[in-house]
Amino acid sequence: MDLKSLKQIISTLKSESYALIDSSNDKDSLEKTYKSYLGKSGEVNLLLKSLGSLPQEKRKEAGMLLNQLKSDIDNSYRDKTSILSKAENELRLANQKIDISLPSVSKEDGSIHPVTQTINEISDFFESIGFGIESGPETETDYYNFEALNVPEDHPAKDMHDTFYLKDSGLLRTHTSPVQIRTMEKKDPPHRIICPGKVFRKDSDLTHTPMFHQIEGLVVEEGASFAQLKGLLNDFLEDFFGREVELRFRPSYFPFTEPSAEADIKWDKSWLEVLGCGMVHPNVLEMVGVDTKKYSGFAFGLGVERMAMLKYDIPDLRLFFENDYRFLKQF
Amino acid sequence: MQFSRNWLKDFIDLNISTEDICSQLTMAGVEVDGYDSFNSKITGKDSVLKLDITPNRGDCFSVYGVARELAVINNLKLKQPAFKPIKSSFKEDLRIKACEEAPIYVGRSIRNINLKTKTLPLIAERLTLSDQKLIDPVVDITNYILLELGQPLHAFDRDKLEGNINVRKARKDENLSLLDDQEINLSPDCLVISDEKKSIALAGIMGGKNTCVTSNTKSIFLESAFFKPSVIRGRARRFGFQTDASIRFERGVDYKIQELAVKKASEILSETVGGELGEIQESKLTKELPKAKKVSLDLDKANKILGTKITSLKAKKYLKGLGMNPKGSSRKLDITSPSWRYDIEIEADLIEELARLEGYDSLPTISLEPKLKIQSESKEKVISASLVSLGFSEVINYSFISEDDEMVFGESEKMVEVENPISQNMRYMRSSLFPGLINTFIHNLNNGLESQKLFEIGSVFSHKKSKKPSERTIVSGLIYGNVAPNHWLDKPRKVNFYDAKGAVEKIVSNFDVASSFEPISSDFFHPGISSSIFDGSKEIGHLGALSPNILGKIGIKEDVFLFSVDIEILKTRSSQKFTKFSKFPSIQRDLSFVVGKDITSNKLSILIKEKGGKDLNSLDLFDVYEGKGIEDSKKSIAISLTWQSSEGTLLDSDIDKVVKEIVNSVKKELDGDLRN
Repeated sequence: MDLKSLKQIISTLKSESYALIDSSNDKDSLEKTYKSYLGKSGEVNLLLKSLGSLPQEKRKEAGMLLNQLKSDIDNSYRDKTSILSKAENELRLANQKIDISLPSVSKEDGSIHPVTQTINEISDFFESIGFGIESGPETETDYYNFEALNVPEDHPAKDMHDTFYLKDSGLLRTHTSPVQIRTMEKKDPPHRIICPGKVFRKDSDLTHTPMFHQIEGLVVEEGASFAQLKGLLNDFLEDFFGREVELRFRPSYFPFTEPSAEADIKWDKSWLEVLGCGMVHPNVLEMVGVDTKKYSGFAFGLGVERMAMLKYDIPDLRLFFENDYRFLKQF
Repeated sequence: MQFSRNWLKDFIDLNISTEDICSQLTMAGVEVDGYDSFNSKITGKDSVLKLDITPNRGDCFSVYGVARELAVINNLKLKQPAFKPIKSSFKEDLRIKACEEAPIYVGRSIRNINLKTKTLPLIAERLTLSDQKLIDPVVDITNYILLELGQPLHAFDRDKLEGNINVRKARKDENLSLLDDQEINLSPDCLVISDEKKSIALAGIMGGKNTCVTSNTKSIFLESAFFKPSVIRGRARRFGFQTDASIRFERGVDYKIQELAVKKASEILSETVGGELGEIQESKLTKELPKAKKVSLDLDKANKILGTKITSLKAKKYLKGLGMNPKGSSRKLDITSPSWRYDIEIEADLIEELARLEGYDSLPTISLEPKLKIQSESKEKVISASLVSLGFSEVINYSFISEDDEMVFGESEKMVEVENPISQNMRYMRSSLFPGLINTFIHNLNNGLESQKLFEIGSVFSHKKSKKPSERTIVSGLIYGNVAPNHWLDKPRKVNFYDAKGAVEKIVSNFDVASSFEPISSDFFHPGISSSIFDGSKEIGHLGALSPNILGKIGIKEDVFLFSVDIEILKTRSSQKFTKFSKFPSIQRDLSFVVGKDITSNKLSILIKEKGGKDLNSLDLFDVYEGKGIEDSKKSIAISLTWQSSEGTLLDSDIDKVVKEIVNSVKKELDGDLRN
């Protein structure tokens, strides 16, 4: 064999192998083709072995040519492998398609009762402007529930509160105002507090439950004024309802405030009572030893269920205490 | 109180719409609930105004009082109640003796009346509009005067009176039959009207049956008195009722109108039932009358509190209109409270008067300056968040429960009972949150909720040694049904004790608590599936499966798990500090022991931790097995242990030694062995 015919063979092998590699449709046939050229007894190796029949001075060049062929076939093989792998991969992934519409896996959270949520929302507003949150007992004494709040024994104002009394002693608080007294007894002014909690009144019909929740607020500071009270409640209600509200104040009566007021908001074109409030009665402040020459105060109270009913459009007060999951889950 | 709008015309010439009248009154503190318009055959176009009068404004419990209020608001002249004086035609032989609680007692006899007559149409219409039943002309007219002037009157059958009138305190154990047939037992703090033989009325509240006007009555004795509010307050309520008279007397009536009321009533009575009028008898203890209050108003202070700039001229005008006769310098006004106002005692009361006449709505409004206050989140909020993340829903139940429920979960000698419960089902204060949770659970189960996780945070009540009930805030929960809703990927699993335990551990993980669980015996838990929770040596709660006895009673077939933790006892954790973690590789070994069934996993864990050395940094129990391949009296517990040192790489040979030590100890101390 001479160099010329070797070159001839190389060129034929090259085009032959390229065509075969290119036409391989899977890795097996590709592998077979590869081995038939570059395997131990593949054609290229056989040629390499036959180099001895060439003249000495031609062998180097022939070797180079054959190695070139080897690397060309090898490259072509690699290219094809990667093409086949890619196709195979695509095919495999295509077969791995899942139904993305199946229900997800996630742990469902429980829920916070709407009354608690409402208390939290209201508390957040007042906390943001420096009110502390105070609490007190639900069983109270006549002193804290009435007397210290300027409601004397047998006063007609007691008719406003149908009180539950306990067998041995004490009563169930009819409002959370006793917490104000307890706080003022413990600490010196200034005060900014709200007192959320359960209260009890002997009343049960469509619009009353014998237990409900109230939030009372108290501010005792130098220069606390009715104008601030109006401003605070206006700011609070707008924050709570997340919009501008039309608010009106009108005179009312609570034994523990003077002047006293009721705040109404415009709701579906009519006025709806939402809050009771007023300047803390001097008797109340004096009974807990607050210097009324230096300090004045205002207080307000609201029913939590009522606020929640308005905000969330809940039609019936009794839903709050039925605890039906179809109700609770909505919040 | 409700009354005809046209009635007001007797006292003021007010030419504004009914709507405006209502809004004016409401905005001045005399709330009008609403009004109904109609056409009267007698007075033409009219409306019934429905008023909701606050306890401080007894003076507005009459048409005249409301007219007076409207006169001030509209700056109008108020016409005094008019009557035609009629001369008396005979001398009265009946004498009145009254005690200090009745500073004014005016009476007049009217003889030979004709009760067959009818109440005048206008009066009948007005009474009907005020929701007063028509009874007979005499009673109707006393009711009419009460509504018009706010002065309660009472008419006795004159012929049934035996001797003079004596207004006195009731005797101990004195009984009285009232007009409405109820028999009451009086006590010495009640005031009665009596003649020389018997008591004839509960003063200021209701007349007695024995002397009431009947269709046979020929003569009457008309009473118009001023009783001190303090002797009326609370008395009617004590007997379980109130009357139009008691409502007015306990708030205080004008102590200057008793005679006027009698005269006005006399006039109408003469016109209606005829008869002869006796001389007016009067007992008056001037010393005992309410004192007109002198109150000073510092106008600068008022303006500061209200945020206003009310001038002295304006203030004077308001106070004069209210009948308070203001005097004094420009910045300081002295007033005298009028005889019809019992709510004017201190400066703040005058500030309110100025404010309401100025109109609350026109007072200035300013925002409260925010202040900074650092507050930590409440324990309740932290616990709620944890439980919600575990899928629990919060419920709020009444603090009242039935005796049956309280008997199951409370201790009878510690139960807190409501004196005047709203119903038998709400007679006790709960000493546990479980009854409420169970009732809520049953309600929802009946509505098709097969799996439930509920919790409640609230107060529970019990009597400790002292009489005052003690209160604690606790959190309790209930678990029932499947752990999670049916899902195409997961096999459903019924909840069990360990789900409840997990909830408890999650709760206490927020606090500085070293929790441990010990068996308990309790009537309401399953004896073998219940536990107390301790923080060190302090018991902080309990959990378990509801006792099968109770399950049977409430008709539930599957297990219900309950837990409860005392919130007040939980100590807040101090703020978290960083701890270094090891960079060296760890070594893990899984060991499976066979031990007696009565050996708790806790016992085994404690022993392993003790023998595992300081580098043992995690112990995970991953399998418990009883059954095939294991002796009947034994169980196998598989535990995965991980060692890691912060000082260097541990050697397998070291750990092998430790494991050997552990296995030997388990053999020796717990009679356990490695499972093959």
